[in-house]
Amino acid sequence: MNKFQKLKSKNGNELILLVIFVALFILMSILSPGKFLSVTNLQTMAFQMPEFGLMAIAMMIAVLTKGINLSIITGSTLASIIAGYFMTTEFAQNNAVVAVILAVCISLLIAALTGVINGTIIAYIGVAPMLVTLGTKMLFEGLGLQFTKGGSVSGFPLLFGEIGNGSVAGIPYTIIIYAVIVVLSYFLFERSKWGTEVYMIGCNETATRFSGINTKRVLMKVYIYSGVMAGISGILISSRYCSAKTDYGSSYLMQALTAVVLGGTSIAGGFGTVAGTVIAVGIVQVISTGLNVFGINRYIINIITGGILIAVLIIRYVSGKISDQKKIKARNAEAQKAA
Amino acid sequence: MKKKLLSMLLVVAMTASMALTGCGSGDKAASGSAKADAGSDDGEYTIVVMPKLTGIPYFTATGEGATKAGEDLGVNVIYNGPTTADAAQQVTMIEDYITQGVDAICVAPNDAAAMTAVLKKARDAGIIILDWDTAADPSLVDASIHNIDDVAFGEHMMQDLVKFMGTDDAQYAIITGGLSAENLNGWIAAAQAYAEKNYPNLELVADPYPTDEKQDVAYSTTQDVMKAYPDVKGILGFSTPTGPGCGLAIRDLGLQDQVSLVANAMEDDVQDVLSDGSLDEGCLWDCNDLGYLTVCVAKSLLDGNKLEDGMDVDGWGTIEVQDDKNVILGPAADYKAK
Amino acid sequence: MQIIEKLTKKKEMGILVMIIVLSIILAFANSNFLTLNNIFDFLRSNAVLGIMAFGVLPVLLTGGIDLSISSTIALCAVVAGEFMLAFPSSNILIVIIISMAVGAVVGAINGLIITKFDIPPIVATLGTQTIILAGVLLYTNGVWISGLPQWFISFGQIQLGAFHSVGKVVGLSMQVILLIVAGLITWLIIKYTLLGRGIYAIGGNKQSAMRVGYNVNKITIFVYIFAGLMTGLAAVTHISIVGQVDPNTYLNYEMDVFAIVFIGGTSVVGGFGTVLGTSLGIVLMAIIKNGLVLAKVPTYWQKVVMGLIILLTVSVDVINRKREQAKLVRVDVEEEEVDKRE
Repeated sequence: MNKFQKLKSKNGNELILLVIFVALFILMSILSPGKFLSVTNLQTMAFQMPEFGLMAIAMMIAVLTKGINLSIITGSTLASIIAGYFMTTEFAQNNAVVAVILAVCISLLIAALTGVINGTIIAYIGVAPMLVTLGTKMLFEGLGLQFTKGGSVSGFPLLFGEIGNGSVAGIPYTIIIYAVIVVLSYFLFERSKWGTEVYMIGCNETATRFSGINTKRVLMKVYIYSGVMAGISGILISSRYCSAKTDYGSSYLMQALTAVVLGGTSIAGGFGTVAGTVIAVGIVQVISTGLNVFGINRYIINIITGGILIAVLIIRYVSGKISDQKKIKARNAEAQKAA
Repeated sequence: MKKKLLSMLLVVAMTASMALTGCGSGDKAASGSAKADAGSDDGEYTIVVMPKLTGIPYFTATGEGATKAGEDLGVNVIYNGPTTADAAQQVTMIEDYITQGVDAICVAPNDAAAMTAVLKKARDAGIIILDWDTAADPSLVDASIHNIDDVAFGEHMMQDLVKFMGTDDAQYAIITGGLSAENLNGWIAAAQAYAEKNYPNLELVADPYPTDEKQDVAYSTTQDVMKAYPDVKGILGFSTPTGPGCGLAIRDLGLQDQVSLVANAMEDDVQDVLSDGSLDEGCLWDCNDLGYLTVCVAKSLLDGNKLEDGMDVDGWGTIEVQDDKNVILGPAADYKAK
Repeated sequence: MQIIEKLTKKKEMGILVMIIVLSIILAFANSNFLTLNNIFDFLRSNAVLGIMAFGVLPVLLTGGIDLSISSTIALCAVVAGEFMLAFPSSNILIVIIISMAVGAVVGAINGLIITKFDIPPIVATLGTQTIILAGVLLYTNGVWISGLPQWFISFGQIQLGAFHSVGKVVGLSMQVILLIVAGLITWLIIKYTLLGRGIYAIGGNKQSAMRVGYNVNKITIFVYIFAGLMTGLAAVTHISIVGQVDPNTYLNYEMDVFAIVFIGGTSVVGGFGTVLGTSLGIVLMAIIKNGLVLAKVPTYWQKVVMGLIILLTVSVDVINRKREQAKLVRVDVEEEEVDKRE
């Protein structure tokens, strides 16, 4: 019990989210027996979640520093498009294994480069992240359009499709990649020196700088990490669909922001956990899949997701108020006792 | 502790009620398509008809046709699609319908290449696959409903533009809904190729201008194009907002008699601009029929029929079939002033 | 000379230079660019975004943001359209009032959620944006509302001081007048009222504003209502241009609006920004959009050029400001830099 209470007080937010997740999961399972809770459906969800979850992590790291990254989608599609062109060359068609490895590298490199562009303007010139990424969002999309003229790039080696569509012992590769990155992100954000610096910048950039930390370099790395995460998501997307196009995944941008905030990351920076984001991604996924299985109009799903977002924040506010009051009461009582 | 528990319970209750009211209003929604219990175990076929996106007039009209066909034929039609024209969301939804175990999926792909993997999966699950509005990978579909032959449609619009201009020695411009829309790009390519071959003196002034599928952007773009290229004699508008948008711009510029405009449009939305010749001709097809025919063909395939040219389809009548798979709705419907 | 000196010190200088340079280039690229006719045209096409930009300016000044405006304008337009179909014998004033009232209600809801539950504005308005748009599209199915009464169409065609020039009627159109009125009202409120000072104070520092005695909650609710009111006005302006209501057309409008306000030098964290700057932002965005076509920039490059111009403008703006500050205060430069990241 003691242990539980400790867990509760420390990770109260994640616990609430987990309860919501489990409740929704059970609810969906009861409402559509044999469909929602079936091996195929769970597998389908495991295929769908990673690309969205990685976008959420890409968004989260920027939000932690009091920033935002609106260019994640167009940056990742630009990377996929360039890698895609490489994979349609004759060399790539003849050397599938080498080509796929190189294509992944190209994708990650371009994605990192998009991060460098964002990071340079944000950290070194000092323009607000929202403005910068609004501009680069347009810029990356424009470059992608310039390459594709609006069409899609396809005809990749079959092996590339394996990344997004293959599985081992029934477990999709994508969810394995996602799990590895989640764990990696946890250690990087919450257990490493760099992570601490990231949270510090989110709390108070000036103070962080005066404590001798090179905030510019930290911020640069943040946007590179954000770009690379989006890039990996882009690889999964283009592999799942065996093609690349400027507008793939465009619906993920606002969804990712929703999941990050739902997961308890403070939009004012400096606060948030990887676990929270991951559970929130799960919640959005369960709502989406669960209601899709019923054939419910997508707009109603949007309304419900938006409603839950606001509801959870109101609950968080109210429960915060209540626990504050309790603490004040307890302190007053103690003070009285002492007197 | 108690209060926290209470708030948690509150959340659960709220989400539960939300989900339930969601179901309820889904039934009442104007699209009238969302049925909670959509199984094939009640002996009725369940046919999913998925547009590129919902909530735009074109796909609302096709949805009305599809739903009506469902009522007439006694099959359960689910008409549902993504809220933005995003291939990723569309694939996700199809995957979820495979899980649900429907009998047929008719999809208007946002992007044919992106559909390949998921359609394979659907086939493996024994689901009948049709595409409509835009073609998917032909090897994966049981039937392909073409509202029109893409090439013929582009050529038709080009021919009519030249007819209205009265000359093939002139400049023209193309205004399109979006640069990433595959079907629009197909028509544009066909129109351009036809012009290059048959009207060597006809000059396209620039690459197609995108308008974000927005009427007001079509309006201001047309005005700007006329200023950049004052000698333009004809404009081709692709995607339905361009009809009223470009038409209005031509009217406000007072160029009804100088500039010819042939554009896609929903018939009801362009009566006004057709009346004074701002828009010379609106081109589209009967959207209701497109949805209706799709469901009819799907039902026929589910009944075990094989597609043949000139065959009779329940609820529709004789259909035209090309290459064993491609069902052609019919020629374009041209709208002139009423 | 003094005037020039004063001007160069102004924050709006960077964007003004940008506008002048672009105008000169464009005037050479196309002789049609600098005609009164073209200027009135591109102002008219951008009046809707402009009115919304003035509307959200106070919100942004308080350090907030309102993502819901794109959905609110759709809601207002649909309500206004349906109202005109139901009561074809009413008049333009009633339509404007109804549309603005609907906007105000949405604004009030936003303001209340934000102040009562202490939810960050970007999150609260992301939620209302999603919910309102979904509601509008569920109700209308995206079908256009057409056949608006003739008096409304004529209202949209009004041109003040119209004169004939090169065979065309040139005049200040109704939409541009509404844009100017919206700008004037916003200017009066934020410059000359106690409320306006409160708005800047909150954006500068919420805690101190509270301590000085401003009712932060009331002011916050007001700015969101104001954004809603202006969005309602923008809705009527929009349908008066196109003569029909397309519920889908407003998608992503909020991003265009923010681009205008931020390019106009308004700080993302609040506390700084002017109506003059926003007006220049409107002109610059209008010039970019209009100029890209007039200068015959290849279609596929237009987005690239637009993104680059935005990045360049905001970067130059920030670099200039840093240099100013370095000149003014040699102490604590580092701190200023970080605090004023905009």
